[in-house]
Amino acid sequence: MPLRRLLLTAAIGCWSAAWGSSAAALDDPASHARVTRLDNGLVVVTLEDPSTPVVSFQMWVKVGSRDEAGYTGLAHLFEHMMFNGSKHLGPEQHAELIAARGGSVNAYTSSDQTVYHDDVTRETLPLVIDLEYERLAYLDISAKTLDRERQVVLEERRLRNEDSPMGRLYEALFATLWQALPYRTPVVGWRSDVEKATVEVCRKFFATYYAPNNIVVVITGDFDANDALARIGRTLGKLRPSKSIPRNPTEEPEQRGERRTIVHFDVNGPLLAAGWHAPATGSPDGEALDVLSMILSEGRSSRLYRSLVHDAEVALSAAGGYWEYDEAGAFVAIATVRPGTQIADVERRFFAEIDRVRREPVTEAELDKAKRQIEVGLVNGLDTSHALAERIGSDFLAFGRIRPLDERLARIRAVTAADVQRVARTYLIDDQRSVVHLLAPDSPKPARRGGGA
Amino acid sequence: MRRARIGALAALGAALGVGCAMLAPKPAWELPAPPATDRPIAREGALTRAQLPNGLLVLVHEDHRLPRVSIALTVRRGAAVETPAEAGAVSFMAELLERGAGKRDALAYAEAVDALGATFAASADWDTVDLGIAGLSRDFDALLDLFADAALRPRFDAREAQRARAALLASLERAKDDPATLAGWQASRALYGAHRFALPVAGTEQTAAQLDAKRARAYHAKLFVPNGAIASVTGDIDSATAIAALTARFAAWPQGAVVDPGPPPPEPAPAQRSIVVVDRPDLAQARIVVGHEGISRTAEDRIAVSIFNLIVGGSGFSSRLMAALRGNEEGLTYGVNSGYSLRRAAGPFYASTFTRVEKARKALDLLLAELERARSDPPGEKELGWARTLATGSFSMGLETSDAVTASLVDLEVYGLPEDSLDTYRTRVRAVTPKDMAAVAQAHLHPERAAIVLVGPAKAIVPQLEGLGDVKVVQP
Repeated sequence: MPLRRLLLTAAIGCWSAAWGSSAAALDDPASHARVTRLDNGLVVVTLEDPSTPVVSFQMWVKVGSRDEAGYTGLAHLFEHMMFNGSKHLGPEQHAELIAARGGSVNAYTSSDQTVYHDDVTRETLPLVIDLEYERLAYLDISAKTLDRERQVVLEERRLRNEDSPMGRLYEALFATLWQALPYRTPVVGWRSDVEKATVEVCRKFFATYYAPNNIVVVITGDFDANDALARIGRTLGKLRPSKSIPRNPTEEPEQRGERRTIVHFDVNGPLLAAGWHAPATGSPDGEALDVLSMILSEGRSSRLYRSLVHDAEVALSAAGGYWEYDEAGAFVAIATVRPGTQIADVERRFFAEIDRVRREPVTEAELDKAKRQIEVGLVNGLDTSHALAERIGSDFLAFGRIRPLDERLARIRAVTAADVQRVARTYLIDDQRSVVHLLAPDSPKPARRGGGA
Repeated sequence: MRRARIGALAALGAALGVGCAMLAPKPAWELPAPPATDRPIAREGALTRAQLPNGLLVLVHEDHRLPRVSIALTVRRGAAVETPAEAGAVSFMAELLERGAGKRDALAYAEAVDALGATFAASADWDTVDLGIAGLSRDFDALLDLFADAALRPRFDAREAQRARAALLASLERAKDDPATLAGWQASRALYGAHRFALPVAGTEQTAAQLDAKRARAYHAKLFVPNGAIASVTGDIDSATAIAALTARFAAWPQGAVVDPGPPPPEPAPAQRSIVVVDRPDLAQARIVVGHEGISRTAEDRIAVSIFNLIVGGSGFSSRLMAALRGNEEGLTYGVNSGYSLRRAAGPFYASTFTRVEKARKALDLLLAELERARSDPPGEKELGWARTLATGSFSMGLETSDAVTASLVDLEVYGLPEDSLDTYRTRVRAVTPKDMAAVAQAHLHPERAAIVLVGPAKAIVPQLEGLGDVKVVQP
């Protein structure tokens, strides 16, 4: 049976009505996933789909930059060390072995989790499982590899944060928006901490967080689940669980008044960012905030594009969206300012649009359009084994279960114009916002050419 | 039988108190790689080809797993037809396609696309103009109507052209904030002199300032001919319905002459090594690009070249360049890669990386040394072994989405390559030999006369370059 088939019973008539009613029955592939809990606490989620040529293996570890105490950037630096050798394999051999069999392997760290992912063809899955076990059971962190990898990470930091205007903008925005929560630090960490982290610090981090009871393994695509589970039982199933996994105790104090930060960097195109506190993931307001994001930002008919990019021609792009984390959330809006334009002019128009969504309800047409865009996005998210595994892993870490598509669709469909206005009024408050301007030290400067228009 | 014996041995070992380590199954990396099965590139009967009487080639790729569909049109000519003075005109024309078409102005068109939850994109590359729309399959007719308007009836409204030009000029100015873009632009200039390839597809601030609706309209008339285009439909639609619907919208599109693809660049480019530093005093990293002429999309030895490139610098963690720079004990970079840009006429070969400013020379030396070594010590059977599997494996995984397969099939049509190239790809990869590697290394790698570009603080970089040759410092 093709798992990805979505059964649509009512395909005719007004589409918004058809989609908007419960007539569209959805066979969510993730609803066929099988969840296995091993004795050591490891959760394994398997979902077979022989129609695809790929098997996606993802190891979701519930540890991210928000768990760092003392050394920021540790979760990410450690992620790099996971590729740098173990008892039976040398540095980088893990990745080379998978590439040599045609697979792709990588990892990423975020605020709330670290994810190791491999996309391979079916005959390579046993290798992937054995390699994961090898590094979890026998990781070898030496001073020599750590010193080299630290330099690699600092190069990554220069690339993404120090030499990138957008990287600097985000770094400043989060450090302004949050004063206490660890979400205020960049995932890659502050330079000084990356420079100073030691082998002992890495080993302790590994022993604390990389325990089977803090890990969810997700496998989707072309493979045999029984074979895979048997192999996982013989390998990852032998790992010892951790007794307790510490979590960040800090909560964000109330913000009293607008915050502003200016970042000087030698750019032609200044950047504007604004952020507001929003609820953590799983909030009942989440869907209304998602709909609001779409109305402001998605497509060339969206409000911010239309106002700032098309009509006023003061920005090259403008978008705002809801970012959800495990312990907090943010509504983040960014505009790329046209060279030669006053950033204050962009900011005024930008906040006028925010004010509008607070003042008057969005139209029914905008509401339908936004819901449609989210729904199409959910369908597109079923496209690859990798994307499916990502959805499952993310849901499992945040909620301990897979949120069915039907549930998500029902909640999105239930959002009203009044809900959108309510969340805008609740969260997008002027004296609760943080604003960042990134611009050249000698700004404002005239455009080097006339601008054409 | 076999299992029983192992079981008995294990029992014996346990009874004797002998450690069972020697009896544990070997980890998978110690065993030979199991053979892969080559899946067909598409499901049985999923692909249909047709040609309309006006010459429009139609490709339908059925995939009913998800209720969605994408429609695309690829015109077989792109920015390479422009003279350097009009650089950016084709790309500008593509941008205007979604700024009003048929009876809708720009905002009405955007409203219509967004209301379907659809995405529309139009862009130009060296050899093509591509436009596409994607959405839910039950909206197929509405999507196709919007799409046909953009392809055949763009309005080229003068006010929208002004807006698009202003946005283009602003984005070209802003693009200089990105060191990688600056490096790429400068490398192309150094390689191609007066040829069109010297300038970006989108043009430059000088050429973009000349663009207007009239020129865009003229390019549309010149390039958009059905006998020089390929239409494709992928997704939850049956081929007969798709072909009938396309016929209804595109059969009346009149034929026209397919214009000359544009002159090839002079060879070889460059004649000797050149070094340019783009001064960006505020950067913490030096961005490094080394480039010279490469190969054409249709070169006979393109498969061998692609495998060679995987080994040299095109395969991420496994490549020689990655081992030399990231694997260096000083951890010189986060990433390094190389590639041949495949166009109708030979595009560039480039290798690029980035490192902290004070290590610029060291990284550049190591990069050049690896390119030299690729010639003196070309890949042998051992490296070829993994590179072949990497190529066939990533090809097989690339078949996961039907859209990607369709795009590859269209690409074959654009360059007049055999229709069955995807079917034979894995076999051709497996036939590549060490002898091919040595030949490719000699023919297509020329570090001794490469254009070298570094972006970063000139004050700190230039002194490091002593002994390499004349250094030219330019402003962004």
